[in-house]
Amino acid sequence: MTTATTPPGMIDVTIDGRALRVPAGTSVFDAARMNGIAIPTLCHLQNQTPVGVCRLCVVDTGARVLSASCVRPVEPGMKVSTDSEKVLNARKTLLELLMSDHPSPCARQEQSGDCELETLAKAAGILESGFQKRTVARGHDDSSLAIAVDHDACILCDRCIRGCDEVKNNFVLGRMGKGYSAGIAFDLNSSMGDSTCISCGECMVSCPTGALTNKGVVGTAIAVGPGAEGFEAEDLLKIPVFKGVSGTFLELNRGAVVKRRFRQGEIVCREGEFGSTAFYILEGKAKVSISTPIAHVRTQGGAKGLFKRLTSTLVAREDDKREEETRDRTIPIDAPVDLAYGNPVAELGPGDLFGEMTCMNFYPRSATVIAESDVIAYEMLRNVLDIMLKNKTFRAQLDETYRRRALENHLRGVPMFADLSPEFIDYLKGSVELQRFAPGQVIVQQGEAADSFYLVRIGFVKVSENYPGGELVLAYLSRGDYFGEIGLLGGGVRTATCTALDHVELVRISGDDFREMVGRFPGVRTGLEAIAAERRAANQQRMQMVDSVPIGQFLSQGLMEAQSLLILDLQNCTRCDACVNACADAHDGITRLVRDGLRFDRYLVATSCRQCRDPLCMVGCPVGAIRRRNSLEVIIEDWCIGCGLCARNCPYGNINLHPFEVMAEDPEHAGRKKAVIQQKATSCDLCTHLKEPSCVYACPHDAAHRVDPKTFFAEMLGQGSVK
Amino acid sequence: MRIDRSHRAWALASLAVFAISAAVYVIYAGTAPRGPRGGSAVGLIFGIVGFGFMIFAALLGARKRVATWRLGRAQAWMRGHLWLGLLALPMILFHGGFHFGGTLTRVLMWMLIITVFSGIFGAALQHYIPRLMTADVPLETIYDEIGHVRALLREEADRAVESLCGNIGLPKSSEGEVQRAGGFTALRPIAAAVVPLRTSAAVSAGASAALATAPEIILLSEEESAPLRRFYLSEMRPFLDHPKQSGQRLTDAALASVVFAGLRTLLTARAHATLTELEDICDEARQLTRQERLQRWLQGWLLVHIPLSLALILLGALHAVMALRY
Amino acid sequence: MARTRTTKKLAQRIDLNYFKRPTPLKRAKFWLSLLLPLLGLVWIAWRGFSGDHRVYSSGRLSRAHAVLDKECAACHVRQTGAFSARAEDNACLGCHDGPIHHASKSATPDCATCHTEHRGTINISAATNQACAECHADLKTSHPDTIYTSHISSLEDGHPEFAALRPVAGTPASDPGTIKLNHAIHMKPIRRGPNGPLVNLECGNCHRPIAVDADLTYADPKYRAAAVSYKDSEEFLPIHAETLKTPKPVSGRELMAPVKFANACAGCHSLAFDKRFDEGVPHDKPELVNAFLVRKFQQYIAAHPGEVRVQRDPNRDLTGKTLPPQVRVLTPAQWVVERTADAEELLWRKTCKQCHELTPSPKSAQRPIRAATAQGTDAQEVSAPLTELPYLAPAGITLEWMPHAKFDHDAHRGFTCVSCHPKALTSTESSDILLPGIATCKTCHAPGPGHAESRCFECHTYHDWSKRKEVTPRFTLPALRTDGR
Repeated sequence: MTTATTPPGMIDVTIDGRALRVPAGTSVFDAARMNGIAIPTLCHLQNQTPVGVCRLCVVDTGARVLSASCVRPVEPGMKVSTDSEKVLNARKTLLELLMSDHPSPCARQEQSGDCELETLAKAAGILESGFQKRTVARGHDDSSLAIAVDHDACILCDRCIRGCDEVKNNFVLGRMGKGYSAGIAFDLNSSMGDSTCISCGECMVSCPTGALTNKGVVGTAIAVGPGAEGFEAEDLLKIPVFKGVSGTFLELNRGAVVKRRFRQGEIVCREGEFGSTAFYILEGKAKVSISTPIAHVRTQGGAKGLFKRLTSTLVAREDDKREEETRDRTIPIDAPVDLAYGNPVAELGPGDLFGEMTCMNFYPRSATVIAESDVIAYEMLRNVLDIMLKNKTFRAQLDETYRRRALENHLRGVPMFADLSPEFIDYLKGSVELQRFAPGQVIVQQGEAADSFYLVRIGFVKVSENYPGGELVLAYLSRGDYFGEIGLLGGGVRTATCTALDHVELVRISGDDFREMVGRFPGVRTGLEAIAAERRAANQQRMQMVDSVPIGQFLSQGLMEAQSLLILDLQNCTRCDACVNACADAHDGITRLVRDGLRFDRYLVATSCRQCRDPLCMVGCPVGAIRRRNSLEVIIEDWCIGCGLCARNCPYGNINLHPFEVMAEDPEHAGRKKAVIQQKATSCDLCTHLKEPSCVYACPHDAAHRVDPKTFFAEMLGQGSVK
Repeated sequence: MRIDRSHRAWALASLAVFAISAAVYVIYAGTAPRGPRGGSAVGLIFGIVGFGFMIFAALLGARKRVATWRLGRAQAWMRGHLWLGLLALPMILFHGGFHFGGTLTRVLMWMLIITVFSGIFGAALQHYIPRLMTADVPLETIYDEIGHVRALLREEADRAVESLCGNIGLPKSSEGEVQRAGGFTALRPIAAAVVPLRTSAAVSAGASAALATAPEIILLSEEESAPLRRFYLSEMRPFLDHPKQSGQRLTDAALASVVFAGLRTLLTARAHATLTELEDICDEARQLTRQERLQRWLQGWLLVHIPLSLALILLGALHAVMALRY
Repeated sequence: MARTRTTKKLAQRIDLNYFKRPTPLKRAKFWLSLLLPLLGLVWIAWRGFSGDHRVYSSGRLSRAHAVLDKECAACHVRQTGAFSARAEDNACLGCHDGPIHHASKSATPDCATCHTEHRGTINISAATNQACAECHADLKTSHPDTIYTSHISSLEDGHPEFAALRPVAGTPASDPGTIKLNHAIHMKPIRRGPNGPLVNLECGNCHRPIAVDADLTYADPKYRAAAVSYKDSEEFLPIHAETLKTPKPVSGRELMAPVKFANACAGCHSLAFDKRFDEGVPHDKPELVNAFLVRKFQQYIAAHPGEVRVQRDPNRDLTGKTLPPQVRVLTPAQWVVERTADAEELLWRKTCKQCHELTPSPKSAQRPIRAATAQGTDAQEVSAPLTELPYLAPAGITLEWMPHAKFDHDAHRGFTCVSCHPKALTSTESSDILLPGIATCKTCHAPGPGHAESRCFECHTYHDWSKRKEVTPRFTLPALRTDGR
């Protein structure tokens, strides 16, 4: 009621019998809040535009229906009741309805006990909803590195969407679906990890329930010691590359990045080592080189004496020419530069990021880096690198560095581009597109129109062809390889499907540019056609071998991927479990093999690590705890957090999680420890600490064998081995 | 185990040992002043050798317990067990000069004969049954887990029937047991909550839940689904629970296919996919029963062989001491 | 939705700790493996506590020792402080004496080498051939030129011909006896006595074992008092101390008694010496025969004094010989001498010589004849030239042809004599040895079933029973029937 005494711009209202005067435009909710009256909400956050979807904040304004106080502006003379029986009933019913769908206790309630919905429900005295629970689950989404999505707990309050759009301006989240199947979605309903989400953490921080929760990252990842210092979250926020990342999120991940100082001459990393970190140089210069002799092994026979063993020596290319080697190749390494064959040395400076492949895909270090001056660098694990790479500023910087320094070498590294003129190269540098692909993403599909030529900058690409029985992998391409030319040179249709196996970065040359290049430099065309013809012939040969029967089963069981299978000859096996017992004996009582699985011919392919050529298990470990040694066996480090991603990724179920009871801080009683169940992932490690796999050693009936499937089943699959 | 060409070395060596010891025995028995007896020098040597073979054979059990210790391959121990164990019988017969002697030695001799022959019988079983099992039970699983797998089969069947008939009052299993027989996992919370320790594998499976697409739900009306409900509740579910009870139609593969063919005529075409699933489930249950039976044969004879052999060693040692004493 | 199978789905059905869980099979294995040995131990312990060690016996006891079945300690004497309780020799010697075999043998085997106990209800004294062959298969003796064969393994392998039949130094063996006997004639129908009926003699008419009633068909008791060349005590055979014979009780039917004149010969061979007398001379030494003759004639002439008138017997006129006077009157003493000489001539030259070897010998005794008068008391020495008394070689009858082996005729009583002694039917020379050779024995005594026992112990014994010592008995009846000492 506006009386004469009411100043302009102010409105008089009555809330719960109290007369209040608030500025015009204030919402009922704010008016109440400013005067000490608390109204429960679920979808309203102070820093976000109110939308009034949850209806929990409804109040009785004397209208026909109850109004949502967060969006209803005050009107003069409004009489608001926030705790009448009608309002309370409405709230109670609402909470009950929401609780009926809520997976109580949800993740947040378990983690920190502060799920807003459950807290409100408890306060309202609702312990058990009277309504029927939903029968169809809406699913979980574990694909993001740091945030877990539980759609069942989502109450569609819109906070995350508003946080992503309004607060962080990333515009990743949105809504999808209608009615009962409505939900939040990332991009065009991709899973969170595959979307453009940059893991800033804003949505998680905004979510009132356990729909978006932090995937617990426990413990420090990189040891802090002399030469390396850790960061506090505030320090990290100051670094430009972390701009835009949620502070809470950084807080949780701060152990995954350290600042390192290297003195002149100190070795930063050695080639061939397996690692799980990337380096970003802040200051100083470092020399990157390959110190292994650039030579291959030649075996010579010992002519004298019957018992003289064959001796092997290393010989340089000049001394022993081999057909398949071409001259003047550059050696692709995991850095912004490639090394020249004749003189494999290059320099890295501030702003250079190296070790990406090692960090993202757990490949071994490709070169040795030695500090030429005093160097300050960040060493980081995957999760932090992921954040950095998703940061637009950082990405742009990286791309520019690549174009400037490495692209030309890379292009020249393709043998048939050696004849391109410098001007064309310059032109290409500006016109190529750098594309990133996530693991499993299809780059080109068999049968679609061909419009680009690709160079692989980082990662592995699988080239496969579909045939009536399934899919046949034709080749795996890695850094320095290229594809797409058959489609462009031929009929304009892709002849194979190319899929990214891990985090892949491609240099895309558009079809037009490609055609121009081929037109202006005939040498390129001849070279490409020759290669294309070769590839076609090889593919034909492979397709012929596909005709023999078992290969279908061989492929469908994924046996082609395996480099080592544990097979049990079922005609010898007496099902005595000696192999399982021996495995458990050698591994603290936890067996790494299960004597069940699919059969191939008369062999049971036991469920035990297959040392796949592309280790799908290693993709995605948030803490980089799973890696591979030179002898191919999979190692899971101590700091495995038991997230189960590797177990999920392994298509054969070879990795299992085991619960262990550990003592951890009791959240409810400070200073006390409580036994909690911590899980650890385990997998077969080929018993490299013993000379022979224990299962094979312990089988009394010559039934257990660790074999290379292609040589072992070679006869069955056709002549020769399948490559 | 297959007693095939790879045993050739052992077999030939054993034959050689047997031939040599037989020759020695014949000469010794012919010339010994008191006839062949256990206490003579040659007899004692036979006895020691035979007992040594028996002890080596008995040590196989101990060897299996420390499978990872590098004490020689399990295969070598197994073959040694087979062939040296077999040789123990003639050695002891030579030792006693084919006399069975007094009470203790008579008992020992019979125990040895039964042990060796039960071993031969068991070796034959273990030679043939794996092949039989491989051919007969394609859907084999781990014997110790058959009960659990059966429960999972029943779960799967329950869910399949429910997907057609709606809720028919079948009990839902507890959270820890929610796992389809084929290994599909129900959706579970990811949090590191208390995990049922029973199936740690289930946890890794649970962590895998990608966004599961909701299955297409075909619901039959009450009337349409009546035959299936009747059949399921009265016949199939009890069969899955107690597959070995006699008098069940589903125990026989031919009868079962007749039953299901009949059901197909009674139910609409939309239900046939589920019926095929149920039929496959029954087949898997039958195979598991067959596997159980075969496995019992495969390992049951050990209940005779092992205790007898242990008693044999114990009493044999006693005999050695006492015979030398007297 | 079709059921699909992937490795992952299959593996995830399995509880990863399944192999650690107990299963019925594992439980059964465990409990049975515990139970059965325990059962065995309990059984042994029960036996041990009840003091019954028979469970460790390696076979039934022999018939002879069957009474000791529960008395393990009778032989298995536990040395104080030691664990061993082997049955040593001193246990055997507690009841048995086993005198040594031969003084100069190289090594003494212990009792058990030949007498193996715990082999079932057998005859424990039946040693195996190998036991004997231990030494005899390659016998080492201190004498380099021993008469004993040095390589005997068994009856069929290396056993020599009987010593009695073996040639000595190239010459065939011969009977050392001096009595002249032609068996062949005796086996044909012959006359009993000079004028008697034809009789068909059987072996048993002359040869009988000593225990059998010696009332032979052709015996003449009158001659039984005669002296013989062997001692009376030796009639009961076997007696020779130095022979190695089994000490089993002798039935007296084992060997044939030496053939005595009184028992076998007297019935047909009369020792008549003069027509005036029916009786014959005693079958005795020549001196006694001479004395008998003299006495007889003296008695006669005293009873028939008219016979001193000796008429010439015209039948005895021989041409070329000086005829004695028609009638001679002799003194009684002369008459006795004459008659004695006549009788002796008959005897020495014909009757005795038929069987014995008589040689005139300076050793023959010359005794003056004490002539008895008609009065009968006064003996007057009559010196008259005496005929020399011949020397009779001792008969030399072999009492025992096989001193080193035991032979029992009684065991073979079913067989006819000539089936083993066929030479008796054809032997004409006294020097013939009518003992059957080893080949005859081997006809039945051979190894294997269907034959008679052929092992060494059947005929030979190891122990030299001449050196037998008596043992002190130590078992009492109650002690045997309780559970041993």
